[in-house]
Amino acid sequence: MKNILFSIFFLTLLSSCQKVIDIDLNLTASQVVIEGEINDQTGIHTVKVSKTVNFSDANNYPAVQGATVMISDNAGRSETLTETSAGIYKTRNLLGIAGRKYTLIVNIAGKIYTAVSTMPVLVPLQGIRLIPNPRPGQDTIARFVAIPNYIDPPTFGNCYRFVQTLNGKEDKNFIVFNDNVNNGFPNQRPAFSRDLEIKRNDTLTVEMRNIDKPVYDYFYSLNQSAGNGPGGGSTPANPVNNIDGGALGYFSAYSASKKTVIVQ
Amino acid sequence: MLKKIILGLLLWVSMTDLKAQNFTVSGTIRDAKTGEELIGASIVVQELAGIGITCNEYGFYSLTLKSGSYTLKTSFIGYQPTSHKIVLDKNLKLDINLSNGTELQEVVVAARKQDENVTKAQMGVEKLDVAEIAKIPVLFGEKDVLKTLQLLPGVKSAGEGSSGFYVRGGSADQNLILLDEAPVYNASHLLGFFSTFNSDAIKDVTLIKGNSPAQYGGRLSSVLDVKMNEGNDKAYQVKGGIGVISSRASVEGPIQKEKSSFLITARRTYADVFLKLSDKFKDNRLYFYDFNAKANYRIDDKNRVFVSGYFGRDNLGLGNNFGIDWGNKTGTLRWNSILNPKLFSNTSVIYSDYNFNIKVNAGGTGFTINSQIQDWNLKQEFQYFPNTENSWRFGFNSIHHTLTPSRFKTDSAGGQPQISRYALENAIYANNTYSINANLNLDYGLRLSSYSILGGDTYNLYQNGVKSDSVVLAKGNWGKTYINIEPRLSMSYKLTGYSSIKIGYSRNTQNLHLLSNSTSTSPTDQWIGNSYNIKPEISDQIGLGYFRNFADNAFEFSVETYYKSMQNQVDYKNGADINAATDVESELLFGKGRAYGLELYLKKKTGRFTGWLSYTLSRTERQINGISNGNWYAAKQDRTHDISIVGMYQLSPNWSLSANWVYYTGSAVTFPSGKYSINGKTIYYYTERNGYRMPAYHRLDLGATYEKKRFGRYQSSWNFGVYNAYARENAYTITFEDNPNDPTRTQAVQTALFKLVPSVTYNFKF
Repeated sequence: MKNILFSIFFLTLLSSCQKVIDIDLNLTASQVVIEGEINDQTGIHTVKVSKTVNFSDANNYPAVQGATVMISDNAGRSETLTETSAGIYKTRNLLGIAGRKYTLIVNIAGKIYTAVSTMPVLVPLQGIRLIPNPRPGQDTIARFVAIPNYIDPPTFGNCYRFVQTLNGKEDKNFIVFNDNVNNGFPNQRPAFSRDLEIKRNDTLTVEMRNIDKPVYDYFYSLNQSAGNGPGGGSTPANPVNNIDGGALGYFSAYSASKKTVIVQ
Repeated sequence: MLKKIILGLLLWVSMTDLKAQNFTVSGTIRDAKTGEELIGASIVVQELAGIGITCNEYGFYSLTLKSGSYTLKTSFIGYQPTSHKIVLDKNLKLDINLSNGTELQEVVVAARKQDENVTKAQMGVEKLDVAEIAKIPVLFGEKDVLKTLQLLPGVKSAGEGSSGFYVRGGSADQNLILLDEAPVYNASHLLGFFSTFNSDAIKDVTLIKGNSPAQYGGRLSSVLDVKMNEGNDKAYQVKGGIGVISSRASVEGPIQKEKSSFLITARRTYADVFLKLSDKFKDNRLYFYDFNAKANYRIDDKNRVFVSGYFGRDNLGLGNNFGIDWGNKTGTLRWNSILNPKLFSNTSVIYSDYNFNIKVNAGGTGFTINSQIQDWNLKQEFQYFPNTENSWRFGFNSIHHTLTPSRFKTDSAGGQPQISRYALENAIYANNTYSINANLNLDYGLRLSSYSILGGDTYNLYQNGVKSDSVVLAKGNWGKTYINIEPRLSMSYKLTGYSSIKIGYSRNTQNLHLLSNSTSTSPTDQWIGNSYNIKPEISDQIGLGYFRNFADNAFEFSVETYYKSMQNQVDYKNGADINAATDVESELLFGKGRAYGLELYLKKKTGRFTGWLSYTLSRTERQINGISNGNWYAAKQDRTHDISIVGMYQLSPNWSLSANWVYYTGSAVTFPSGKYSINGKTIYYYTERNGYRMPAYHRLDLGATYEKKRFGRYQSSWNFGVYNAYARENAYTITFEDNPNDPTRTQAVQTALFKLVPSVTYNFKF
């Protein structure tokens, strides 16, 4: 919110000046990063294991190879994942079934990380409504933002993540909703993304993922502390995550549905 | 109970009168031209060395002496002193009028007031001269009380151009900001670039840095007591100023001559008017306006009523899509009564309100977020002047709070219900100022404060963010009451005629807390009261100081040190959901704080060249379980060094020049120590809270004021200013991002708000 306020203020009143600077940032011991997902869509689920690097390094994140990665559910099924390429571990035939609780275990040279995520029952995406999203101070080309149409169930505590793909390119921002507002009603919130410019004749796909609350909290806090300095937002911190053992990242079991529209 | 105490005291008052042949001379000290009461003017008795007093905040004084003939010398900074011969063989009433010293005239002021900084027991007190504020250059040329305060030792600016301030390691919400006794919950306009105080309406500004006497309470760090002018009761007067982005005007005058008067001031920024001219930004809104109004009526010699109010509103928006507005409303109804020559009473009924509204509209769907705090406040204070060694203040204060929590709402139903919470905050206090002998002065008191949760809502209890229990409080029921005893003590001992040492201790408590997740305060931060999880914040501060005046009081010098410990500090946990959380209390963490420092201050008060030099060396830390692994970490307001140099020079009768230079260590901030990738997006890895520093901040501002020749009643002046004269690019934010030219790299980007900002303001008066 504060970002919006400041942008209005400074865009309109002042011309602030920006420059790239050198900062001497501390070096830090490399940390394990786990990105694990299981869903009700495909039979193949991926867990990516990598490491952090120093800020001054290039964005090449070393893969963690040779880990033992296992996913199990609360119905007694489990599978050890196969490392298909460096740091990428995949299932072959484990099915994701809504309502089940999944456990991820990653063993890296004897150090064990565990995470639990419950796959919520699917709330179907019924359609996409596009509404105008003009950007003040820019050209007059019509821009839009998508409102995912779905009806939130009356029980409290549903969480959603939206992944938008525009003309084949996936938006990398993490858009998550919960039902603290509008519980049990048709959704009215637009899925705003900072980087998405939806124009006429574009093809937009919206995938709606039903996620559990710990995963919502992870993405929400990731957005909250996404690298803003003083005056720009909340004090940065690592997001709250659902992995025990001290790794960064998340493990998410989700059910999903998607819709595609051509913007008229 | 309270009635009995008062009756007892009254009885004691009359008893002591009978004992000796003592009589009292009392009255009110006013400006001869406008009829404004002069706050803090002093009277010394020529025949009795070392005997003297200062008048109170309503200009009232009371001096009890043995019968005899005396000469009373009255003085006040910027006024010509007067001398009155009296024969004290009965109680006397003597109102004194002082005339404004004309410009440039060396005003000779009696010794008492001049060395008050050395003799008075109270420490950590800063008084601002309202006339001086007008000369100090500021951003956009809008003279500003809060920005001038930041140039004093122990007071730090909340950021570039900001009117927010931190006192001795306290956060911005730990300052009690009073406008005619009414608490102002957000003292800034336009995200802090302007303060809510229109300096044309202001008579007196006092800042107490933690060692406040017992009549003040409710905040940990400081009291900023701002008093508005009463309005000229002799003649009409119009004042105003036209600036680059804002203008102001005020009208004052008698309703009935020398019996009642009024004052109305208004301000409005008009940056948005220029926006309208530009095609690009024509739909943007960006302005604030505010009004001050005051009227008073003298019922008779002994009774006077005042009514004053403030109303301000900020409005920011983008077309119909986004809008936010916020503002304060305050109202004060006050009755001064001189019950007898030694006993002064002030009764006030005060209303305060702060609220904000955010509206977002997207394609016909609307969202709103709003929050409000509303107070009704009753205050009764007695001031009792038994003899020249002693003065007492005692009274009570009772505030009813209505706190409406921030809620995210949509046009359709289905949001969380927005239920207001109610609370009653009470305090009784007594404070005594006592001159034990010519060298030893004492100021001590006790404040008993309580905060009671009133029914009407359900209060949840949390353990580590997980709900463990809840308390359903029906309307009309009383919930938990927190009671605190707050002792206050300060003492001065005169070493020589020109120097003294002072020590002080005080405990303060705070029952209202501002929740802020951002690194600086924002109008959308919400106030929350104590609950079953949130306990009163408590601070204990000790201070030690050495005060010395040089060259016949032309120079004031002081060194003060302090140590402050704070309990029950409140902060959001990492990644807290601040807008849509079902209960914000589940998102909070609690911990403690400590702050210590050394403040040096050297001021030149008289002559053509005046100004000051202030230096603060300090440290401020927090320890909160759940942040930085429970280790102590530097608070965001921690700045090791803070220097201000202010100089003003009267070049000629028409021209005066001014300059100020500030330097401070960059704020403590959290920067990433590493990075990783989630879903192909670069994410930063943080190791500790506030483990880094922003670059050091420094800036020079220059100002010049040209007073035009008086034309009949019409007086005018031009004020020119340059903010950041050597165009230093001070870092406002430092952000980290992927390098747009080389996606395999990341970079740090520094944003500076202002380079050089010139301003010009035209002020007039008739």
